[in-house]
Amino acid sequence: MHFFAEEVIVLLIDDRKVYGCLRSLDHHGNIVLEGARERIIVGDLYCDVPLGLFVIRGESSILIGQLRFGMEDLPEDMMCVSEEEIKKAQKVEKEAKDLKSFMMKRMGFLDFLD
Amino acid sequence: MLPLSLLKTAQGHPMLVELKNGETYNGHLVNCDTWMNIHLREVICTSKDGDRFWRMPECYIRGNTIKYLRVPDEVIDKVQEESKSRTDRKPPGVGRGRGRGGSQDGPGGRPAKGIGRGFDEGGARGQGGSRGGRGGLGGSRGAGRGRG
Repeated sequence: MHFFAEEVIVLLIDDRKVYGCLRSLDHHGNIVLEGARERIIVGDLYCDVPLGLFVIRGESSILIGQLRFGMEDLPEDMMCVSEEEIKKAQKVEKEAKDLKSFMMKRMGFLDFLD
Repeated sequence: MLPLSLLKTAQGHPMLVELKNGETYNGHLVNCDTWMNIHLREVICTSKDGDRFWRMPECYIRGNTIKYLRVPDEVIDKVQEESKSRTDRKPPGVGRGRGRGGSQDGPGGRPAKGIGRGFDEGGARGQGGSRGGRGGLGGSRGAGRGRG
């Protein structure tokens, strides 16, 4: 593994994106990240939530990728917001999604809904 | 340093465990094993949406239900310290292995723990107990305590 002591991104099974410095890895794929943070993205808002030392069970990671440190380039229109704001935005997004799935369940036979 | 040895070092520290179903458990780690099964004390369980909470004095979590764990930062320093002191104490490759030693130890050898019963049974000691240092054999002889 060439990733040790490097900045990596780990995609979890619940679609979360965690960044951190890779410290350890075993044959199950269990991972230790130091100084981990989760990047929450809602629409064009994003926020990095610090998590500290993070142990991920191998089964629950989808991919591990190397990040070249300092080379992160975000699209222009992305805006960094505070943790509370992103949580609020996340909640609104979830409510909208729930409402949509509810409507689709009840009114799915109407094909103009999509 | 493997992820599981880090977890072993985190014994006694507070930690957060999130399960695959989204529930989180906050508590102090009592013990863990190689399957990542975890024993926590003073636990607060939080539901997936984070709106309901339960307190429990202790709980045991099966390893394969875990998604991730959050551990205090100082644990990584501690695990490095520990692994360093371990290599200082015993350089790799000169250990005596863990076979059924004892025969070369002479009379001073550690009495082997037999598998059978009768090891600590006074009446059965006649045969089994005197054969200290011979591994499982002594124990199995000791099991025939009907004769004793």
